[in-house]
Amino acid sequence: MRIVIAEDDPLLREGLALLLRAESLDVVATADHPADFLTAVDLHAPDVAIVDVRMPPTHTDEGIVAAVEARRRRPDLAVLVLSAHVEQAFATELLSGGAARLGYLLKERVGRVAHFLDALHRVAGGGTAIDPDVVAQLLRRDTALERLSPRELDVLSLMAEGLGNTAIAENLSVTEGAVHKHIRNIFAKLDLAPTDRADRRVAAVLRYLENTPAPRPDAASPPFLDSPARY
Amino acid sequence: MPAEHCGRTRARGEVRQRLLCRARRALDALEQLVGGLGTAILAVIVLIALAAAALASALGIGTFLRPAALRGLRFVADRERARLSHCGPEMIDPRPAPAGVRAAAADPSVRRELSWLITHSTFGMAVGLAGAPVPYYVVRDLTYPLYWWAVPGDASERSPEFWDVHGFADALYAPLAGLGWAVAFMGLAPAMARLQAWPGRRLLSPVPVTDLSLRVARLSATRAAALDAHATELRRIERSLHDGTQNRLVAVTVMLGATRRALARDPSGAAALLGRAQDASEQALAELREVVRGILPPVLDDRGLAGALAGLVAACAVPCRLNVDVPGRCAASVEATAYFVVAEALTNISRHSGARRAAVTVRRHRDRLLLWIGDDGDGGADETRGSGLAGIRHRVQALDGRLIVTSPPGGPTTLEAELPCGS
Repeated sequence: MRIVIAEDDPLLREGLALLLRAESLDVVATADHPADFLTAVDLHAPDVAIVDVRMPPTHTDEGIVAAVEARRRRPDLAVLVLSAHVEQAFATELLSGGAARLGYLLKERVGRVAHFLDALHRVAGGGTAIDPDVVAQLLRRDTALERLSPRELDVLSLMAEGLGNTAIAENLSVTEGAVHKHIRNIFAKLDLAPTDRADRRVAAVLRYLENTPAPRPDAASPPFLDSPARY
Repeated sequence: MPAEHCGRTRARGEVRQRLLCRARRALDALEQLVGGLGTAILAVIVLIALAAAALASALGIGTFLRPAALRGLRFVADRERARLSHCGPEMIDPRPAPAGVRAAAADPSVRRELSWLITHSTFGMAVGLAGAPVPYYVVRDLTYPLYWWAVPGDASERSPEFWDVHGFADALYAPLAGLGWAVAFMGLAPAMARLQAWPGRRLLSPVPVTDLSLRVARLSATRAAALDAHATELRRIERSLHDGTQNRLVAVTVMLGATRRALARDPSGAAALLGRAQDASEQALAELREVVRGILPPVLDDRGLAGALAGLVAACAVPCRLNVDVPGRCAASVEATAYFVVAEALTNISRHSGARRAAVTVRRHRDRLLLWIGDDGDGGADETRGSGLAGIRHRVQALDGRLIVTSPPGGPTTLEAELPCGS
């Protein structure tokens, strides 16, 4: 797997490269500026790009803009975006073109190396990795979810994060058959067309959650008031 | 008997007090009359200039004269405003002078200034000429017996007043006249000064509507600037936390994660990774300290403004004299801003100025804190390059204060700041 890292913080960039190389992954280039990143993408034709949202010059959403541009140039490039905090607008902007080969994670998830590598491989393999915090924010917006059982909610969350059936079963310590049954129930309760491909499933679930208006005032609460994620 | 005596003494004391007070007021009035006479002379000059400009315009050659004449009008009106503010309630400046002649003609404040100019150059001049020489008459008449013999001319010519002076006996009446002048002046001068100032007070103050809208505009502007600076400050703090401290901590977790993987696989590499994790966490701590210091330096709380500034001065690479005379404490935001102003100035001095000596003076004048930082360096400090000075200006403006940087090429550089104390 050929990887390009775009991260302007030297220590973090170095740390990421170190971590990935220690896992025998091929970090072909690192960049500290969106322009350098795009050059590296053109030059090295990587499989995956790991991109920080905040990049110079203004440190707002240059990373997202660069990631979208990189995808436009190389549609089969997998992109994993790292963010200092959950910003719904960024996630939406990123996922507007579909959820395949896309990831959006909080930076600190990288420290849980196994989970991070899992997300990386999933994205590289055509899947999706959405941060649990993003999913949790989305789930809180929807009153229709009250119809789901607690177990079904767990399955829905993991599904929205981009996990496949096997991973969900492992995560919840149930059989794959049970997961399959839960998913069927969820899709029926939410009036979604059933599908088995993970990325389409994620897209469907996310689109459903995105289009649900926020019913309670506290649902619009800023990210720092959110409950800690499950990892 | 003793009681009566005492009462008489008290009465005498009161009379003296009153006389002194009268004399002081008469002196103030004299100062005002003389000042008014001065602006009246200026007004005559400007009036002549305006008339010349109008005449030239009628002949079609006044294009260059008109703006100058208008500036002259504004100048003399401003002088009168400053004079009146000095000896009475403050006169607020109207808006900046209108750009063109047509705009000026349409501006009510310009028309009012013009009416004042005509009144003051005639009536104000007359009152000034009537009142200002009186003290001279007083002195002349009181001392007349001392020098009457030296005054040339015949009996009626040499007399200071209306009677003929044939000899010393006649001259002895003059001090009586002088006394009369003095009494008249003490009684009338304040009223004359008020009379002379009256057209100015009426015509040079902004129209009431303008006054309020001006004040509202000024307050809105400073308030908006304050909110803006506040938001900028919050953004700065948020950014330094997110991009600095948080990134360091993320790096720590990344290193720790890598260490755990390494321990499971190849424990020998783990120590190096742990070292890096520790470095990163130390950096995070250092940056956190910086951020906190940038919000409100703890030293201000511990040692007060004078102590905090002494610390800054002691750490300055250039020998620096510190002079702080600030009784009591100012609002925390004001002290913090003063601290940052001095810190930035001293940083610039030791980094860029090439100065051999520097001085920091801090004073409190009524409800304002005044800062003065100077050096004998090369000067040429430019606010547009480097964000330090600009950042300081924002902080100062947010408190509705003023910052003046004087730094000609070749030096020296002085930085003056004025902050409302807020306490």
